[in-house]
Amino acid sequence: MTNPQHPFRIKLYWITWAWLLVLTVVMLFLGSAKLVPLLLVGIMAKASFIGANFMHLRFERIALVVIVVVAIIFTAAALFAGIASDGVHIRNLL
Amino acid sequence: MSETQPVHILESPWGGGVSPFGVEWQKLMMWIFIISDALLFAGFLAGYGFLRLASPSWPLQSEVFDLRLITLMTFVLISSSATMATAVGAAQHGNQKMVIRFLLLTILGGLTFLGLQAYEWSHLIAQGASLSGNPWGVPLFSASFFVITGFHGSHVLSGIIILTVTAIRTTLGRSRAEGVELAGLFWHFVDLVWVFIFTFFYLI
Repeated sequence: MTNPQHPFRIKLYWITWAWLLVLTVVMLFLGSAKLVPLLLVGIMAKASFIGANFMHLRFERIALVVIVVVAIIFTAAALFAGIASDGVHIRNLL
Repeated sequence: MSETQPVHILESPWGGGVSPFGVEWQKLMMWIFIISDALLFAGFLAGYGFLRLASPSWPLQSEVFDLRLITLMTFVLISSSATMATAVGAAQHGNQKMVIRFLLLTILGGLTFLGLQAYEWSHLIAQGASLSGNPWGVPLFSASFFVITGFHGSHVLSGIIILTVTAIRTTLGRSRAEGVELAGLFWHFVDLVWVFIFTFFYLI
């Protein structure tokens, strides 16, 4: 039951906020060291925090989560496939 | 009495009624819109990625930008997302005053972000950056910067307008908790896009 003094899930949001700030600072240091794979992990972590907690995906029916996640993964895969080989090819030419 | 032939009715496995995704159609449509908007930014960032790969050199972001300012902008937007989520929670609980207070805080965060972004833009433009060139050696650097941050900034502005309307409607007692949640979904999406822009454009 919701406590009248503390509306729905507020604490969760501010815990998420704190984690997001920590991740931002960590990623700032990773960025100055140009550690790209770890930065990508950081992005995924932040995106998951925002999507799951702020956007409530954690509490929605799985079907909705599937729409969002599959769409993003499919898009990323399509873009990556289209760009990576050409990009690497040009990089090798330079 | 003549016997009537039974009419064959096509049957769907879904009996109709509640959305198969468990949310009302408004929320589903907002999610579908968000996905399509995400594709927009994915396209921009993918193009930018290709540009980086295909460029022999690229300006060092830490020399062009003040990363402390950018980090402050990130902090402001993340905090505005937290106040937005709090407003949504308050709306679901029916606390009208709290909703308005946190909507106003979110709007304030958005305006602060836009102000800082505008300051950054003017700072770069004053140094000679434009869509066609810049003093750092790679013309497309400033072009991609203005296009990507410009599109994101316009989304922030749209979000601020939506939130202002939501705040006014809440004050008049004419908004539902679901409406506040939909505005919240858009605002969180804008924050999410900034996370990607911040990392790909300013850090990597």
